[in-house]
Amino acid sequence: MATNRLVQKGKVQVYSQTLFDAANDAGSQDSVVEVRNQLAQLLKLVYSDMDLTIALSNPDYTPEQRHGLARAVFADCNPALREVLAVMAENGDADLLSRVYHTYEDVVAEKLNLYVVDVTTVVPLDDELRKLIKEKTEADLGCKAVLNESIDKTILGGIIMSVNGMRIDASVISQLNKARHTLKENDGGEN
Amino acid sequence: MKTQAKRTNKVVAVATGALASSFAFPALAFANEEEASGGISAILPDMLEFVPMLIAFIILWIVLAKFGWPMFNAMLEKRENTIRDALKKSEEAKIESERVLAEYKKQLDDAKAQATQIVADARETGEAVKADIQQKAQAEAADMIEKAKATIEAEKKAAIAELQASIADTSVDVAAKLIGNDLTEGEHRSIIEKYVKEAGSFNGN
Repeated sequence: MATNRLVQKGKVQVYSQTLFDAANDAGSQDSVVEVRNQLAQLLKLVYSDMDLTIALSNPDYTPEQRHGLARAVFADCNPALREVLAVMAENGDADLLSRVYHTYEDVVAEKLNLYVVDVTTVVPLDDELRKLIKEKTEADLGCKAVLNESIDKTILGGIIMSVNGMRIDASVISQLNKARHTLKENDGGEN
Repeated sequence: MKTQAKRTNKVVAVATGALASSFAFPALAFANEEEASGGISAILPDMLEFVPMLIAFIILWIVLAKFGWPMFNAMLEKRENTIRDALKKSEEAKIESERVLAEYKKQLDDAKAQATQIVADARETGEAVKADIQQKAQAEAADMIEKAKATIEAEKKAAIAELQASIADTSVDVAAKLIGNDLTEGEHRSIIEKYVKEAGSFNGN
């Protein structure tokens, strides 16, 4: 089992490094960030669609069929990402996608001294807010930061920032949920 | 018994003979009564009469002493023994009856004492059972009251919690609608800016 884990770790490292090298050669930092963001979206897609997850790892399909399936499904993605995903599916390693994503972030941080910060807000950010958020994250992380912005009306307001497994939730919905929890837990001071 | 009967018959025959001889010669006995009626001879027995009478008497006495008296004595002794045995048996019966009576009295006393003890024990047991029942009833009542209080308290807390939850949900929902509908983009950006400045660090500082 230990040997198997080492093999898996080696595979993840190879896929991540290959993906970074391909993206970095193709278009420098923007391409690397694009691959990272698309990888994050694919991860959400794979988690939400079990049929796709099973199909990409299904041993009943031939490696060539899984390769073709991955290329077809991820046709709109960055070419470097699409090719790496196709190879992973061909080798039956599609279930390593999550680990490849995290390792890819580590590789990007190591090679480019860069972190991609996922920022979720209700309204689009203006330049002033981008600058403020970027300065804060760079000060916290001690390296360059690139924002990956997204709009989500369900958070009602505020901001959610996450990077490399770390998360700051300053959304209104979170505050309201905390207030709701506090109100429910409070027994009115009877005890 | 037969021998004795024969003897008795002989005695009776001899006695009967003696008496018969005395009655057979009454003329001899009173022949000279008129002659001797004067003087001292009037009070002296006539020897001719006296001797046969004496002989008959002696014979009768001997016969009776030989045969009659032992029988009579034996009969008396038998009677005496019978009476003595009867008295003895009576005495024994009396003693036995007294003993039985004493025993009965003792048993009666024992029974009375036992009955008294049983009654006392029953009363004591009854008192103990009564006290135990009262104690259990009081404990059960106290327990029921305690459980009722706990239930009431729990239901009260549950009701308060439910009310608080309902109020919290309503308040938060209202606040969420107000924030979602009423805030402008500028106000949202102001909130974002405020939260970013007040938010903690990624490093946890």
